[in-house]
Amino acid sequence: MGKYVYFALALAMLLVAPMFIKSRVIIDLLILCNIYAIFLSSWDLVGGYTGQISFGHSLFIGGGAYTAGLLNYYFQVPPYVTIPLGGIVAAALALLIGVFALRVKGAYLALVTFAAAAVPVTLTAIFWEYSGGDDGLSGISPLSVDVVTRYYLSAALLVLCGGILIFITRSSYGLVLLSIRDNETASMAVGIDVRKYKVITFVISGFLAGIAGAFYCHNQLHVGPAELKPAFSVLVVLMAVAGGMGTIIGPMLSGYFLIFLNDWLRFSENYKMMIYTGVIVIILLVCPRGLYPAIASGIKRVVHK
Amino acid sequence: MGLLLDIVVYGAVQSGIYVLLSLGFSLTFGVAGIFNLAHGTFYMGAAYLFYSCMNSLGLGLSLSLVVSVTGMGLLALIIQKWFINPVIHSGISVMIITVAIANFLEQVVLCTYGPVDRNLNSFIDKKLLVLGTVSIDAQRMLALGVSIILLAVLYIFISKTKPGRAILAVAQDREGAIFVGIDPLKVFFLVIFIAAILAGIAGDFIAPTIGARPDMWLKPLTMCFAVVILGGLGSLTGTVLAALIIGYSEVIVSFALSSYMSELVPFVIILIVLAFKPSGLMPARQSQT
Repeated sequence: MGKYVYFALALAMLLVAPMFIKSRVIIDLLILCNIYAIFLSSWDLVGGYTGQISFGHSLFIGGGAYTAGLLNYYFQVPPYVTIPLGGIVAAALALLIGVFALRVKGAYLALVTFAAAAVPVTLTAIFWEYSGGDDGLSGISPLSVDVVTRYYLSAALLVLCGGILIFITRSSYGLVLLSIRDNETASMAVGIDVRKYKVITFVISGFLAGIAGAFYCHNQLHVGPAELKPAFSVLVVLMAVAGGMGTIIGPMLSGYFLIFLNDWLRFSENYKMMIYTGVIVIILLVCPRGLYPAIASGIKRVVHK
Repeated sequence: MGLLLDIVVYGAVQSGIYVLLSLGFSLTFGVAGIFNLAHGTFYMGAAYLFYSCMNSLGLGLSLSLVVSVTGMGLLALIIQKWFINPVIHSGISVMIITVAIANFLEQVVLCTYGPVDRNLNSFIDKKLLVLGTVSIDAQRMLALGVSIILLAVLYIFISKTKPGRAILAVAQDREGAIFVGIDPLKVFFLVIFIAAILAGIAGDFIAPTIGARPDMWLKPLTMCFAVVILGGLGSLTGTVLAALIIGYSEVIVSFALSSYMSELVPFVIILIVLAFKPSGLMPARQSQT
């Protein structure tokens, strides 16, 4: 019962934030945090919770973003249509890739998804006349001109996607995923169709990431190859693992933390990314299970003293 | 006919570089059971270190080569000792921490050298005529020559010397190797050192032809993945064959279609392998989770 207090608290904070925070810059950051929270936690469903480490998340995020961007740029399709479509396209990609990639396990899966993630960027380069190449497409329709409205939209999206993720993991479906993570052979032995669960979970994860990617595109008014590159996949994995693999909440929190860190580091434009990636390495070394488990157990120890 | 010869020669050069790069990656996996995702960083780092040695420090060609390659070897030892060994029981953790380091080092290089591609001067600034009609940079033929020589040296080292045979032993049966008194941890250090040296040499010799960029560690890494998936683990022959197949495929696609399309080759090969024979490449070693 105590757990739901925390959720309610977080929800409340999420909802009332714009009433207390007047700075437009910070609200913009919070929107980004909400989006990244979905990026990271959707990865964690497959990576941490089911134990299938995928370096292909940029396929879904970028895929959703480009779906939205292309539809909006060329056909003026409005955001409330492109965003679900972005999710669907990403889900289709996840199905296609999952059917092949999830045949292999562990480290091999990571390699395969990494290689797969390199494909779409090359495609945007080959078809640069349509995709805008390295510059991407600009002038995408905004979700709303009012930043507070955009914030509430992003918060709603986070609650929706996060809610789906939390519901899945706390259900018996989630238990199956955990058993797959812990011992695939034993899971198969008790009759679980491991392959089916993996693919379905992969598709769900891709769908959520695609929706968030499409939302991101409309938020930035621009879509480019940056979110499609394998390097972005790597960043997503690192940010999520730094938060805490398998916790769903952990990656959301690390998303918030790291987005704010990134912005705070603006004072040193030259060294910003170096410090940022360095901090990630340090987090991984000091808290191998992630920030959220480390902080949670730290709080537990203090409380029980 | 001229085109065919072009493909033969350019394919050989490309494959040679890929052999140097993927041998180390494959060896680390075959012997230590880990995927070092910072492997591409040795390739990139050597090129940049070489650049600095030549241009900023004014060291000669040979000394710059030695310094840059040895530097990568040392980097490998540091990564192994401080980052890989603490988590070596979990293959996933090794991948995560090494990719985090690779990411970080890319940013270090970016900060130090800026985002502009760095150009290195070719060792021999000439074009050669090979096999009668193929016009190719001397630098690329040099790279090919070095690849062949190093492959032979590595083969002799592994099959004839004591440390080399220790590597083989650990790859075949880690426990058995312990029984006969071989310390696997020492062998792991040796293997990652060799991997870094090979990758570093590849970087030094090919960078003059393609330039040095901070993100040049990503595409070769993807290629190494394809080699491991196609060629199977650890065995020299499988890796060399896979590197040859991938190298030649890329060159053929590059000539026939475009160089952009050739970037898709590693993935397409992985796809084909997965579609037709994924079980054939499941490792004899349990995959780590």
